[in-house]
Amino acid sequence: MRVALALLWKDLVTEWRSRDRLVAMVVFSILVVVVFQFAWPALEPDEMRRLASGVLWVTYVFAAVIGLGRSFAMELENDAMTALALAPGTRGWIFLGKAAATWLLIGLVQALTAVVFALFFRQDLLPGAAGLALVAGLADVGICSVGTLLSAMSVRSRFRDVLLPVLLIPTLIPVLGAATRASAATLAGDSPPWDALQPLIVTSAIYTILGFLLFDFVLDE
Amino acid sequence: MDRSENAGVPLERTLRALGVLMGVLLPVYAWTVVQAPIDSVQGVMQKILYVHPPLAYGAYLGFVATAIGGALFLWRGEERHDQLAVAGAEVGTIFCTLMLVTGPIWARGAWGPGNWWVWDARLTLTLLLWFVYLAYLLLRSFTEGDERAARFASVYGILGVVLIPLNYWIIDLVGSAMHPSNIEFQGRDRSLGEGMGLPFAVGNLTLFFAFAYLLVLRWQVGLRRSRLEAQADA
Repeated sequence: MRVALALLWKDLVTEWRSRDRLVAMVVFSILVVVVFQFAWPALEPDEMRRLASGVLWVTYVFAAVIGLGRSFAMELENDAMTALALAPGTRGWIFLGKAAATWLLIGLVQALTAVVFALFFRQDLLPGAAGLALVAGLADVGICSVGTLLSAMSVRSRFRDVLLPVLLIPTLIPVLGAATRASAATLAGDSPPWDALQPLIVTSAIYTILGFLLFDFVLDE
Repeated sequence: MDRSENAGVPLERTLRALGVLMGVLLPVYAWTVVQAPIDSVQGVMQKILYVHPPLAYGAYLGFVATAIGGALFLWRGEERHDQLAVAGAEVGTIFCTLMLVTGPIWARGAWGPGNWWVWDARLTLTLLLWFVYLAYLLLRSFTEGDERAARFASVYGILGVVLIPLNYWIIDLVGSAMHPSNIEFQGRDRSLGEGMGLPFAVGNLTLFFAFAYLLVLRWQVGLRRSRLEAQADA
């Protein structure tokens, strides 16, 4: 447990000092939102409202791929991966610490993206903001847990920047399907439907448990 | 290759038994399919029924073999279990690909021009499974170091098999919104037309054993290769 907190703290301090991961993710997310404007230039605000959930989640997933890719790439410098592998205690805690740091970063990026989206497309997202935050928070647990596990693997391969999305996106389909559905409901002014929250909770829980257990096999010197 | 050279090669007897079985089943299969009546609505196109659904065994069992092989490899660390996982993934990919090729051909034939693809639950699930298979094989070939590639692939194989029920759940949830009247394949689970039951049953049996044969063959190739490498090192 202490290992997890130490790593969380270390990742957040590193990020605070360099801010490179955060800046890259935010700029990228805004760019994707802008791309949607050029994909549908003549869309009225109420038409965009119906697409909002999908647009946001496509952006979120792409941004998450960037953030997760950096999560372990930065550990390659100075061979910090070896130090992590040699750390005493269960390696699952390392996994939780890394995943939690990414969870916070991605959440921040998502909130900023939602604000930019609301401004660019003249959307009032405030009424559904709490519901959206709940859905995103739950979905991010799944995204960050499976993403951290896969990031630790892809970082050890050739073409790691291509491999991570190819590995990650198929595993995110259940999260994405449920999150888009739940977000669409909150943005339409309803509370998030239970039938969509259920798979979100179950998938996130399964991914966290699997990540905790399997991370032992993923980390090596 | 002379027989004595094959002595002691693992799985040789299993492979031979499956081979004999295939030799008997394949002509029977072909004969029953040719003899099956032509469907009054779909015409000859309907005969894909005897190929397409039975391929599913291979597609799904391949992944089960991959997950079991991967889990055993992580637990015991023996290379032969990893070879089983590779065999499952490679043969499973073939079956999955064939399913994805025959499906749209049938769909267009049965549902008319333009209907190459519908986001039907089973189609979508198979497509997603196919992506996981490809990701698994890419992970294997891109990872540096044999032992590490086997370890990483095992982890991904376990993840992939867990994904199947989760995907099914979510497709069921969102799919119903996309297609209010979910198109069911005619005559698959329900009543088959007269004379269609036998070729369908034989097709299921044959393609199941074809999968088993290819799986064991691919497994054996892997085992032989690692044996040769061990001899070369010695």
